[in-house]
Amino acid sequence: MKAERFLGAAIATSAIALTSSLAAAQEPVRIGYSISQTGIFADAAVSQQTAYELWQSEVNAEGGLLVDGERRPVEFVVYDDQSDQGQAVRIYESLITDDEVDLLAAPWGTALHFPIVGVLERYQFPVVGNTAASVQLQEVAPGNIWFPTSAIPDRIAARLVEIIQENGYSRVAVMALQLPFSLEVYEYVVPALEDAGIEIVVDETFPPGTNDITAMLVQAQNAQADAILSLTYPGESVMYMNQAREVGIEAPFQFVLVGPTIAFFSQIFGEGANGIVTIGHWSPNRDDWPGARAFFDNYTETFGFPPDYLDSVLAYMSMEILEQAVAEAGLDHDALREAISTGTFQTINGDIAFDGVQNATTPTMLLQLQGGVAEIVWPPVEATADYQPIGE
Amino acid sequence: MNRTAILPLVLALLFAAGLLLPALTTGYWLGVALTFFMWVGLVQSWVILSGLTGYLSLGHAVFYGLGAYVMVLTWGQMPFELAILSAGLACVLLAVAIGVPCLRVRGPYFVILTFGVSELVKFIVVNIEAGLGRAGRLIFGAPLIETLYYWIVVLALVATALAFLVSNSRLGSGLRAIREDETAAETTGVPVTRLKVIAFALSAFVPGMVGAVMVLRTTYFETIHVFNPITSFTIVTIAIIGGSDDVRGPILGAAFLMILSETLLVNAPEVYMIILGALLILFVLLVPKGIAGGLSGLLARRRREGAP
Amino acid sequence: MDLLLSPQLLASALVLGTLYALLALGLNLIYGTMRLLNIAHGEIVMIGGYVVYWASTLLSLHPFIATIAAALGAALLGVALFGSVLRPMLRSGELMARVEANSLLIFFGVSVILQNLAALAFTASPRGISFLDEIVEIGTLRIGADRLVVIIVGLAACFGCLALFRLTTLGLAIRAIIQQRDAAALVGIDIARTNMAVFALGFGVAGLAGGLVAMIEQVSPFMGFPYTIAAFIVIILGGLGNLTGSLVGGLLLGVVETYGVALTSASYRSILLYGVFIAILLIRPEGLFGKRRQR
Repeated sequence: MKAERFLGAAIATSAIALTSSLAAAQEPVRIGYSISQTGIFADAAVSQQTAYELWQSEVNAEGGLLVDGERRPVEFVVYDDQSDQGQAVRIYESLITDDEVDLLAAPWGTALHFPIVGVLERYQFPVVGNTAASVQLQEVAPGNIWFPTSAIPDRIAARLVEIIQENGYSRVAVMALQLPFSLEVYEYVVPALEDAGIEIVVDETFPPGTNDITAMLVQAQNAQADAILSLTYPGESVMYMNQAREVGIEAPFQFVLVGPTIAFFSQIFGEGANGIVTIGHWSPNRDDWPGARAFFDNYTETFGFPPDYLDSVLAYMSMEILEQAVAEAGLDHDALREAISTGTFQTINGDIAFDGVQNATTPTMLLQLQGGVAEIVWPPVEATADYQPIGE
Repeated sequence: MNRTAILPLVLALLFAAGLLLPALTTGYWLGVALTFFMWVGLVQSWVILSGLTGYLSLGHAVFYGLGAYVMVLTWGQMPFELAILSAGLACVLLAVAIGVPCLRVRGPYFVILTFGVSELVKFIVVNIEAGLGRAGRLIFGAPLIETLYYWIVVLALVATALAFLVSNSRLGSGLRAIREDETAAETTGVPVTRLKVIAFALSAFVPGMVGAVMVLRTTYFETIHVFNPITSFTIVTIAIIGGSDDVRGPILGAAFLMILSETLLVNAPEVYMIILGALLILFVLLVPKGIAGGLSGLLARRRREGAP
Repeated sequence: MDLLLSPQLLASALVLGTLYALLALGLNLIYGTMRLLNIAHGEIVMIGGYVVYWASTLLSLHPFIATIAAALGAALLGVALFGSVLRPMLRSGELMARVEANSLLIFFGVSVILQNLAALAFTASPRGISFLDEIVEIGTLRIGADRLVVIIVGLAACFGCLALFRLTTLGLAIRAIIQQRDAAALVGIDIARTNMAVFALGFGVAGLAGGLVAMIEQVSPFMGFPYTIAAFIVIILGGLGNLTGSLVGGLLLGVVETYGVALTSASYRSILLYGVFIAILLIRPEGLFGKRRQR
């Protein structure tokens, strides 16, 4: 099982902590969360779980989490939510009322973040979220949950129109999977393209479970699309890559929404994935972000594959924010809430501060796979590498 | 004491305890009890059609999902009590509309047909939502868990009462006649089509309302999640394990499932599912009347042996 | 119009159709002879997929050989399941009647068990092999070599099975059982032995399909269910127990899925599929090519 595989690393590091410091004598800080170990999110949630485990082993190696000037070892209290919303709600309720954990970490994805908002509000328990992204999170009342992502659909849409316009592409094919995140991007990008006067040559949505998109790709090909937006989740993103290659799509700009930043994508497609543009706001190659490179290297060394540039990074960042807020405010919920709301935090993704529930500092960016690494290519002022059209 | 009086008494105690629980505890136990009564409500309803007639519905998730959809559509437009009732009525209408053509189809064809209808409705809603430009709806200002919990207990009670009344009525005898031999029942003048459609409509009522309440619990509506076919499969599994022609069956089955899941799910989710699969097979083959039927058999044997 | 004439679309329809036909053949064989609805069919596909994945990564077997191993392994599993569980039950008429009536539930249990055993053994992470990823050009058609292999091997297997039913004594016995089970026993057909062969063949074909799937897609413990559903839709289209019908039905479903979507909109894909499925069940439950049942 996944958990067991990573336990090895955790045990090894806590052994070091035991011999090298007095922290072991302290009462542990218990952090609870639910993980989608089974069900439809099981394969996706690995990115998040691994980042939590890495953070835990690193903190414990330093002697533990700094609380009121003392270092205390971190202990996780984890339950499987079966990728089920009702289970996630139940688990967070009982983590708070029965396990009485000191702190909470977030569950996986938008679909499980939103259900627990009500629980957090009721018990006034602050949680730094991570892997949720939706325009609807702007409607969540601030105070008990924060979303460090800057990959929000309306802003992604704006960035896409920018990069398409500035590179002179004029014929766009849009294909969107009928699931929340992809559909939200679709809802914002289509009118934005129209407003910019860019022609949309293919405009389709398709249901989950679809296993052939050749018809849409042939249409895009026949219409000589020079920019393709494949608004898809990992499974359908793989399908896009395979069938686009088969149809012989050579559009210079190809955007694939979710998938390209996950390790398996590069493993399957290797060189063939080069040039694909995707969402994300992080790259190990930003020298001005302390710890970015170290995180990439440590993660890769611990688990044997590179981190997801989006979900693993967000999960790790959320724990860094929590760590720094606790160092300042201790475990008291009100003090913690105040610290998270007003503080500025040094993370592997640069300095982060919140405005309401949202990340107020990190601009929305686009990444491009170049030579097996994801580089930030847009906007140019944030870039770690120049955008390179496919086939040039 | 009269034996027939024991069952209503035990049931009354169970539901009274259910209603008192929020005064005693919150958190974990309330969450467990809520899930338990949710399954009781769903399975008791399912039994009205499938337990009595043998027409196995593998599509009851469609009612749960539609009920949830009615709730999010009307959220903020009408009082939620009214929305819950509307959800139930919408599902009754859907059941009649589906039932008239589908209940002509028998045996395994009916089983896969109900599954297909449930998936079809799911994808229609997915498509409508995509067309509306909505992708997942967040609900603000949902009632507290205690309020939702009382609703679920009451719905479980309504479903249990319905199942009990139908089972002991002329409608129930008619439905059982259909299960034994539909053609024979028809020739002796049982209005089979009408009875089946009525049973289907009754079995859709509470699940729609349960779906409407449960979406307020998660406060986030995603079509794929509320129409999850796992719900249909779990209903059937509970009914088979508990027993489906006995009002105690769904309660025993749901209790059994809760005990199993609370002890195993936390630490070994895969093992839990494997055990559940194995139990389903064993009960179908060896204890076709479920725990409830097995218990009755044991009691009857003991009484016979004990009798002078 | 260009779109409908595109050879790409035809190739896609063929890939899907072939896989669907192959999936349905195994399922229908077991239903036709034994009246068992094997809802765990997709899990046999999953097991076939894992055999190919592990055999080609750990043992560095060529995926072709691994696929044959997957088919043989699945066939063995079928024989084992039949021999250990079903054969003893066949002796008890009452028990077998119960198995038949509730086969859907029993095999649902089997499917849950297999899925979670696989999840325990291999974790939930999807895995894929990279195999034959070059593009073949035939005239104006471009197709991945792996998908071309699926069409060729899949169709060959389908026609091989149909030839076996038509030309061999085993095939004759199988067809006899499908048509008139009781009469078949009377004329001296060894029902138990034939049924065991049916299980081997049905599972083997599913394992083969799994091997082919592993060449073009990732494998994961919970991948099986959509394949089961697809196979169910096909055998309803072609008629339960109608073996030729499932070949035609599979290809037809591939065509409906690709051309139906091209003609209307991609967003209607699942509605179209389930709509056809339900319409056939309601209007012609014996399938498009089935004979009307005698009342």
